[in-house]
Amino acid sequence: MTRFLLEATLAVALFSTIAIVHRFWKMLPNYVDKVTAYLYTFIINHHTSTTFQGWSAMVKDMQRVDVLIIGGGVVGSAILRELARYDARVALLERNPDVCEGTSKSNSAIVHTGFDAPPGTLEARLLADARALWPQVIEQLHIPYLQTGALLIATSEEELATLKNEIVPKAERNGVTLQPLTCDEILENSPYINPAIVGGALVEGEGIVDPFWTTRAYCENAVLNGAQVFTGEAVVGMSVADEHISVHTSNGRNFAASLVINAAGLWSDEVAQLVGDHSFTLTPRKGQFIIVEEDHGVSQIILPIPNRISKGILVTPIIFGGVMLGPTAEEVQDKGDFATTFEGLRQIRQGIAKLVPAMMDAVSVRQFAGLRAVSSTGEYIIRPSTASERLLHVAGIRSTGLSASPAIGRYVGDLARAQLGLALREHFVEELPEYLSETHANEGDVICLCRSITRGEIMAALRSPLPPETLDGLKRRTGTMLGDCQGNICMPRLMQLFQQQRGCDPLALNKNYDGSSPVVARVAGKEARR
Amino acid sequence: MSGIYELAIVGAGLSALSAISAGLGRERTIMLDYQAEPGGFLKHALPAPGFEIFEELIRSTRFPPSITTCFGATVVGLLPAFEAGEPHILVVRQKQGTQQVQAKRVLIACGGLEIPREHAQIPGSRPAGVMTPIMVHLLLAQGYLPGKQAIVYGDTHYTSVTARRLAGAGVAVSLVAPVDAQLVAIEGSPRLQRVIVRRAGEIYSMEADLLVYGAGMMANTHWLKGSGISTAEDGTVQVDAGYATNIPGIYAVGTVIAPSLDHVDSLAMGKEVASLLGGTL
Repeated sequence: MTRFLLEATLAVALFSTIAIVHRFWKMLPNYVDKVTAYLYTFIINHHTSTTFQGWSAMVKDMQRVDVLIIGGGVVGSAILRELARYDARVALLERNPDVCEGTSKSNSAIVHTGFDAPPGTLEARLLADARALWPQVIEQLHIPYLQTGALLIATSEEELATLKNEIVPKAERNGVTLQPLTCDEILENSPYINPAIVGGALVEGEGIVDPFWTTRAYCENAVLNGAQVFTGEAVVGMSVADEHISVHTSNGRNFAASLVINAAGLWSDEVAQLVGDHSFTLTPRKGQFIIVEEDHGVSQIILPIPNRISKGILVTPIIFGGVMLGPTAEEVQDKGDFATTFEGLRQIRQGIAKLVPAMMDAVSVRQFAGLRAVSSTGEYIIRPSTASERLLHVAGIRSTGLSASPAIGRYVGDLARAQLGLALREHFVEELPEYLSETHANEGDVICLCRSITRGEIMAALRSPLPPETLDGLKRRTGTMLGDCQGNICMPRLMQLFQQQRGCDPLALNKNYDGSSPVVARVAGKEARR
Repeated sequence: MSGIYELAIVGAGLSALSAISAGLGRERTIMLDYQAEPGGFLKHALPAPGFEIFEELIRSTRFPPSITTCFGATVVGLLPAFEAGEPHILVVRQKQGTQQVQAKRVLIACGGLEIPREHAQIPGSRPAGVMTPIMVHLLLAQGYLPGKQAIVYGDTHYTSVTARRLAGAGVAVSLVAPVDAQLVAIEGSPRLQRVIVRRAGEIYSMEADLLVYGAGMMANTHWLKGSGISTAEDGTVQVDAGYATNIPGIYAVGTVIAPSLDHVDSLAMGKEVASLLGGTL
């Protein structure tokens, strides 16, 4: 005991000294850098007691981990949760200031059955496995989910033939039974559907979910079980060694990992290229969406008969209210092109009119665009890199990442266990604590007027295990700023609450990415004295 | 907040204050508002030339003892009475939590919200630096500048006050009037870089790090969803010539019934409601 105390005290003293040295890192000559780096390495190598495990996160030089996941989208986060089951050091790097910032956030938010997946592929298999896993995930992580079912609508005899001859048999092969419906049957239950349709089918198992909630919950569950999440850390370099892969980030963090999982979504090909692996490329496909608050009675997912490029333009109820129209499917070059276009929005309205005429002119509260990855191979790429067995690609997940995420997590978790010989942790808590999902709607005054969201709800989000770093992060956790006024009334108050709770200087608090603060300077002069 | 009030007034903006100063609320009345003080959202633009009568109204309004005022108290739902003689119920969220308020009559005077850029489906990116005038005023009041080079889109008295306020804080401001120019696209990421404008058939690119979108107001009626109060397609509460809604005992006045009202009209409407309903309330 005494020895432990002595060691702990010495360790604290040593660590504090280094922390002070570290603060002046940039001002110090190069040789001091080297000494400091040596001291950090010394700590990591000589102290593996639990005292240091938490602290090692603060150490910038060479953090040793068993598995490092690149990418905090729904796929990377699901994998993180599965890996947290094992007695292993697991960490995740996300280049954006929050998780779920890429493809995972801007999509139709549907949990697909996978009825139209290419039969016999890994994608079809994982989607089928996911169907069995979802109920448990939803219960354990308290994820808001609604099994709405989907109506597949044929607007011509030709489409009806495609439905009968191609889609229904394909669904059977994927283990999903479609229930054929006549035009009259559809209109009786769903009078908002265009009466000019010729028929369709019900896909009972399709449902809707909040993709952000899902991703955040995967991460929080993992973090509460000892995993680490680093946001705002883009991977800028990787090098393969015999026993590990070294990973370097934009902020100067360095990791040595026995296994690196490349779940970088649209950027997976660029991550692979960092170790000279050019075995696949990804191109972005843009999907624009229109959000409508008034649902006009739509309570199910309304799907057109899919064509070769995409599932087409659909109507999807949103789990927190309203409906989503879209997406378009546009091949673009720029992985940062999130602009909506006049032409894209017009195309959505035209497509939707064939299914639900009332949506043609429905008032929109918001529009957005997302990018999904189209891989050069056309299928899921879940395999080791051509450059090293220690780099495992989980790429090309197309538009089915959310739906397949529980099964992708399980599958990749099994691969990692086998490769590294991992053993299950003695204590893994499957459930997120209840208090994280409790509603705080009755606590305190209303901050977000348009959505009646209270101070209690905002503060609960700011105090959560994976708190928001940005205003958009707070928006996705609480639904604030999503109403009619789009945050124009409450954002200044939210900035104050951020400052109160998390100490963020408003000038440094971003909407989303670096340089996106709503304010640029302090008011000076006469105006300041008003 | 307990017991049954004769009248509940939802909102403490221009029309409500005007009605009170004209004598409404002499019986047991409760007034509820989202903000911490009376005066509505327009108050944040004050003091400003052209709004002197409104300033005077705020300064001079005295709440008689018959009126209980609750600020920072937001009405999030309305449950109209089932039968005549029963009170209407308002669901109110405030610091102490969620409570119910019962009132025989309700006057909806909750005003409007500024129409954001999203409403008009203007194409382009979604950068920081695009906001409506209310946010400009709130940020300035907190001591922060929302940009250094602004385009103020709008041609109302309110937008010109906003432009003047920004200019006074040292921001370079260009005014663009909707009557002769349309916004075609918003560009830049993560911050606004330029706004593309069509004017007399020509396309112009205007550099700016702040776009103040002042295209007008819409009714603030999302909280009435499911209440049975009849609203028009644009969200405004529908009333008859006596400001009565479709539900007996529930009235509406001000921007919530006519979003294009200017402040002078709102003040006049408040007075009219007081004289029309003063006797029945």
